[in-house]
Amino acid sequence: MHKGDKACVSRRLGTWIGTASLVLGTMTVGLGATALSASASGQFKACVVTDTGGINDKSFNQSAYNGLLDAAKVDTSIVPSYLSSTSSADYAPNIQSFISQGCGIIVTVGFLMQNDTQAAATANPNQKFAIVDSNVTGSNVLSLNYMTNQGAFLGGYLAAASSKHGVVATYGGINITPVTIYMNGFVAGVRYYNKMNHKHVKVLGWTPAKGTCTLAKCDGKGTFVNSFTDQTAGKTITAADFAAKADVVFPVAGSVGLGSIAAAKQAGKGHSVLWVDSNGCLTDAADCKWLIGTVAKGVEPSVRDAVLAAAKGTFQGGTYLGTLKNQGTALEYGGIMVPASLKKAIAKITVGVSTGKISVNPNNYPAK
Amino acid sequence: MRRLLRWWRGLYESPVLLTAFAVVLGLVVGMFVIIFTTTPVLDAWRSVLNSWGGPGHALKTTLDHVGAAYRAMFNGAIIDPSTLWHSLNTGQGWTQTLTPLSETLTYATPLTIASIGVGITFQTGLFNIGANGQAIIGGIIGVAIGSSLHLPTIILMPLTLLAGIAGGIITGAIPGLLKAFTGAHEVIVTLMFNYVANLSLIFALLSTPLQQPGQGNDISRTLRPGALLSPLFGTTSGLRVNWGLFIAAAIVVLAWWFLERSSLGFEFRVSGANPHAARVSGINPRKVTIYAFLISGGLAGLAGITQVAGTTHYIDGGFLVGSAGIGFTAITVSLLGRNRPIGIMWGALLFAALGVGGRAMQATTGIPLDLATIIQYAIVLFIATPVLVEEIFRMRARSAGGLQLASQGWNT
Repeated sequence: MHKGDKACVSRRLGTWIGTASLVLGTMTVGLGATALSASASGQFKACVVTDTGGINDKSFNQSAYNGLLDAAKVDTSIVPSYLSSTSSADYAPNIQSFISQGCGIIVTVGFLMQNDTQAAATANPNQKFAIVDSNVTGSNVLSLNYMTNQGAFLGGYLAAASSKHGVVATYGGINITPVTIYMNGFVAGVRYYNKMNHKHVKVLGWTPAKGTCTLAKCDGKGTFVNSFTDQTAGKTITAADFAAKADVVFPVAGSVGLGSIAAAKQAGKGHSVLWVDSNGCLTDAADCKWLIGTVAKGVEPSVRDAVLAAAKGTFQGGTYLGTLKNQGTALEYGGIMVPASLKKAIAKITVGVSTGKISVNPNNYPAK
Repeated sequence: MRRLLRWWRGLYESPVLLTAFAVVLGLVVGMFVIIFTTTPVLDAWRSVLNSWGGPGHALKTTLDHVGAAYRAMFNGAIIDPSTLWHSLNTGQGWTQTLTPLSETLTYATPLTIASIGVGITFQTGLFNIGANGQAIIGGIIGVAIGSSLHLPTIILMPLTLLAGIAGGIITGAIPGLLKAFTGAHEVIVTLMFNYVANLSLIFALLSTPLQQPGQGNDISRTLRPGALLSPLFGTTSGLRVNWGLFIAAAIVVLAWWFLERSSLGFEFRVSGANPHAARVSGINPRKVTIYAFLISGGLAGLAGITQVAGTTHYIDGGFLVGSAGIGFTAITVSLLGRNRPIGIMWGALLFAALGVGGRAMQATTGIPLDLATIIQYAIVLFIATPVLVEEIFRMRARSAGGLQLASQGWNT
């Protein structure tokens, strides 16, 4: 085809697209019907405002939205809906937009939304709210918090018991309490294992400070990637841990942990990862064989229950504290075989922690 | 009649028409994305041959969905005709009626300021890819001052803004000085400074003086009431549009005056247009480089603190990170506005309206916010390829007054 033909064809095509787009553009603006407004009677709108992670973050935003979807499966009158935020400046308008849409319950995710949720809850006392990982006061708000150090305690015990070289490691995303509380429980679990079995398993990546670790304050010194998305950094840190003889790594950094799995694959058999937040064998099934387990945070079931209660009219504000006892946190096993005797021991410890007989404070088990 | 003709020719030769067509094309791209991602629409097209009414039904479903999406976008970003009508008739509900416009202006405020900062370096033939880092540092220093000092509003407010500007200037000065005295490429240095700024943010938020007391999370103290850019219609109005709007407007005017009327601005533009000619005519390239980065950094810092003082009143680990990075959006907005202050203002308004409208669309129709982002960048793509737009709309070859590439390139 010579040059002239080409220009001619492209011009004709251009005209066609140009005309079509103008015509369609006018029509869509003119004709667009309002058939889509979906607030029919008998429906209960359950709404979640995510933070900047969005509903596919493989972490608590996704878990919260899944909680809504689960609730909708149980009670078909529930219509789930979400709004994702691109910055902190979006929180307030997003919440407002759901209030004006008449959501039955609005779930907000993360401590960063605490101020805006509090303001909205105070200004709209009849609007029901639930907030994950935060504390908001008011009889119309349910604050959902999780003692993940209890689940991580079991994870630490499992890691220590599975380590061939006697070294395990952890690292965090950012040095904030929702992260460090996991690391603290992990260290406690390892030290508890040492105490009970007269072993000397070392932990890299977290040295707890004196005192008790609470949801408001959990200090110590440790390794952090300063990101929840930088998988390369996760891989680098994990490779360094492996080089220091560690063979089980516990990343508490959202999707950064995928970098740890990559490092484990490279290091080969005998290296494993303890996953965090939501069961890694479900969210990332392909990599299940590298996971020894997951320290789960029960965002999904607790949000589901809050939504179901709101739809039924039995919703009550206040605080929910997720523990091993109410399955607000748990240890779930992964693709790597764990001996039945160890599983039995961990089941026993679970009961001990639930009843408060076993402390999850690492300072009660002095490091040797 | 002749005047009308001249007006039309002026419009035709100016980039305005081209931009308008680019916006239309962006919306068309968005339309196809809606068609290919909305299940009911796809289902309708799949069964198009199953019945006689199939094509009509498919077309109607498509138009319903696309129309609802774009209508929600318009209503959410500018004004909803039905609530406007209601307000006009009853005198009630003005807050709800004006919220979309207020939100668009709120988002456009810091974006305009940052984009003008970026545009000034582009006009000088330099790239400032680090506006986001400069804005972050501006936000940090501004919050540090505005949350800690006990001073009357009349002193604290300007001091907070100046602190923000100072933070941006310091961060912008380093790449400027490095470029001027060592020749270090400003793209690399400014780009890398974004990482420095991100990590400084985490460090600052987790250190005692700035971290909110009693918090184990990465969240700062709240600005004192005297340091806030308060809402124009009062805090009880529910409208977030704030005094920052006037700052942005002043920056647009000042920047226009600076670039078009001042002698330093002239030196900037000459250096950008032809560095060799500039040098020959006695313009000191070092001076121009340094001043350009000082001004650009200062504006980015001002954008950062305007964002904080006008909307959130505190900063957190997500401040201007990722898709919230106005310093990165500023680069595209600057391109959209052809690096000129007035153009940038319109570009920022368009971007803000698409973002705000996208949120409303997501809330009412369930179509993800990402569609708004796709439209935004499709528009930028069409702006960047004027030939394509001219070809599609069969505009006759125009004089080369259209797009001048932002800068000289990478090896000057």
